Amino acid sequence: MTPRSLIAALASAALVVSPATAPAQSGGGSLPMPPPPSGAKATPGAAARPATGSPAPAAKPAESGAPAPAAGTEGAPAAAASDKKPEAAAEAPPPVPQKVDPAIFDQALQDYFDGKPRDAAGPLYAWLQAAPKTDDNYAWAQYFLARSLIDLGLTHAGASYLARIARERSNPNVIPRALDTLKELTDRPHDDVMIDEQVFGALDLGFLPEDTGAYAHYQQGLVDLRVGNERWANTHFAKLSETSAEASRAKFALLVTRLKQVKEPSEELIADFLGLSKDEKLTREARNEAALAVARLRYERLDYTGALEAYNLVKLPELDPGRASLYLEEAWTRYKLGEPRASLGILTTLDAPSFRDEFLPDKYLLRALIYRDLCHYLPAKRAAKELTRRFADSLEAVRNRDDLTQDLRLRRAANSHGGTQRASRFVETLDLEGERLGRYAGSFGDRLFSHLTKLYDLSRAEAVRVYDARLAEAVRQEADTLLRAAEQVRLMEYEVGLKLYERVKKGAKIVAPEDEQLLTPDSVAFRFDGEYWNDELKSYRVSIESRCIEETP
Amino acid sequence: MRYALLILLFLAPGLARAQAEALENPGAVSAIQERQYRMNHELYLGVGVLPADAFYKGLTGSVSYTYHFSDTFAWQVGRGTYSYNIQTSLRRQLERDFDVAPTASAFEDQVQWMVGSDLVWSPLYGKTAVLNSSVLHFEAFLLGGGTVVKIDRQDGFRPAINLGLGVRMFSGKTLSFRLDVTNNVVFAGASRIINVPVVQLGTAFNFGATE
Repeated sequence: MTPRSLIAALASAALVVSPATAPAQSGGGSLPMPPPPSGAKATPGAAARPATGSPAPAAKPAESGAPAPAAGTEGAPAAAASDKKPEAAAEAPPPVPQKVDPAIFDQALQDYFDGKPRDAAGPLYAWLQAAPKTDDNYAWAQYFLARSLIDLGLTHAGASYLARIARERSNPNVIPRALDTLKELTDRPHDDVMIDEQVFGALDLGFLPEDTGAYAHYQQGLVDLRVGNERWANTHFAKLSETSAEASRAKFALLVTRLKQVKEPSEELIADFLGLSKDEKLTREARNEAALAVARLRYERLDYTGALEAYNLVKLPELDPGRASLYLEEAWTRYKLGEPRASLGILTTLDAPSFRDEFLPDKYLLRALIYRDLCHYLPAKRAAKELTRRFADSLEAVRNRDDLTQDLRLRRAANSHGGTQRASRFVETLDLEGERLGRYAGSFGDRLFSHLTKLYDLSRAEAVRVYDARLAEAVRQEADTLLRAAEQVRLMEYEVGLKLYERVKKGAKIVAPEDEQLLTPDSVAFRFDGEYWNDELKSYRVSIESRCIEETP
Repeated sequence: MRYALLILLFLAPGLARAQAEALENPGAVSAIQERQYRMNHELYLGVGVLPADAFYKGLTGSVSYTYHFSDTFAWQVGRGTYSYNIQTSLRRQLERDFDVAPTASAFEDQVQWMVGSDLVWSPLYGKTAVLNSSVLHFEAFLLGGGTVVKIDRQDGFRPAINLGLGVRMFSGKTLSFRLDVTNNVVFAGASRIINVPVVQLGTAFNFGATE
């Protein structure tokens, strides 16, 4: 593995904890507020808030004696809005708020708790449009609308309502619940800017419960790290409990940031990463990332045995095929350790169907190097040629200065990691949820449907813009990787060509084969005949003789 | 001579092709893994049937201890089987309708219990995919040894040769399940041999296996 590719790999690991954000703010979070009712007045006594913090039943106007929240919207029959077509509604200016009976809120809540979010969403939205923002139940209505939308698989729409609750902070009882739900949503593809930066990155942390507060501190520390302010980040991270998962994640983020800053990583830094790779509070993925960081750093320091030990720390779920880049790095390490047969075995793994679409130009180069070292010149030449053959279209596109984002292989490679992957997944999520929204056109009613259609259109446009920006940069990096590999392969072809036609001197002897003990008494061998088993992917070994000749003096 | 040349002519393309293949794709690939399941001290508890005799069917309970010298070779040091015998309708009919004495020699051949010892050879160790979602490891073995059979008569100890085969499914490092199908060739008299096949299914507990 070349040092530059290692650095690229390190950078990709770093991206996991410090994702690059889009140059501009996401529009996905700026959900247009439903217009307040023109003549609506605040009705503090209309809905009494219970001490438990649960939503207050909305009192009917006749009972409370107060004017209806949407009294000012008289004269606009509800049926009028429903007659409009969704397309027209999406383009038309915000509809005039309709008069809504406050009992609708109670009924919608009932529907939600009866497990009918589909029935609850439309009325909740209608109620929100009619009610003043100062209504005690306003935030609750937003919260339950968000929950209904999330239950229906419209997570982005739900998240945008939760984000509004967090930003407006109109009801302190709702905010912790909204933040908890938002925190859960961050495990899926989500709008980084809207949730991580605008909500958790900007929260006033004093009033938050411990768990949510810890997550917010962690996010705010990350934001500080991204802008290069480690001292401020440490202020946030210091407030995390030592035993919390966030503290371990924060430590990982700090280490990655320091790694990017230092030229020669210290032993202490490696030891810190090693400690994190065994930290049970971290997710398995994060522990694996830490182990990979150790392996890469040791490789850079030419400690190949140590690197191999670190690769063995990477734990995968049973029968999980693992990551192609991990195998390739291990193959390079074993090659450097003088274990060409084991290295060749791992390259066999990379031909498995699970990794067939992976973008690994180095694979062909390494295979050619191994064959060359074992003096199998024809296979070496063939392996080298395989790279230019397989990536012919991409290389042609680079030479012709075509738009690289249109190249399928480069695009797929760029989409497979880092910020581009996250952006791509978010776009896919929006597409999926956009389609899903169509299924609810009938039950949501025109107003909510057109509102959500507009929300998804705007969010998608912004997500695509962010994705395109990241993709353009990522494909350029992948093209660089490809070109470097292609260049080395050409050199290899030349070198092998010379060797192929080299004259064998008189008296030359074949080098005695190495004593290679592949099979120990404790092991069992399954001959490979082209059928890949996931439990064997790490175990392939190639039995191959060296054909090198020994020049006698 | 002409025929030899002709044969060589036909063989040449095949040989050339094999050589070209070896040149282009050198080496052989194997998946070499640490053997996941290894047996050491095995305690076996099983249940089974003696299905063959027309006059009775035996329901058996067995216990055995096996020491595994290696992954392929083991000694079933001792095994004991007790048979709870159920008379068949044929025997009942013979006794009821034809007054056949219960001491008739065929009736007295029923096995009460037996003890023995076997050598076990396990040449097959493999794995199979279960619904493409998990991998099940197994081994198949042959066993052979001697048995002392107590049959239902006074002074009823008889020697026997036990031969059979079995398959073991590994569930974990310490637990596996065995299916044994064996046949005891019992020397019942000077010139009389009876076959006592046994089908057994059981659980084997493994102790002291290395990780």
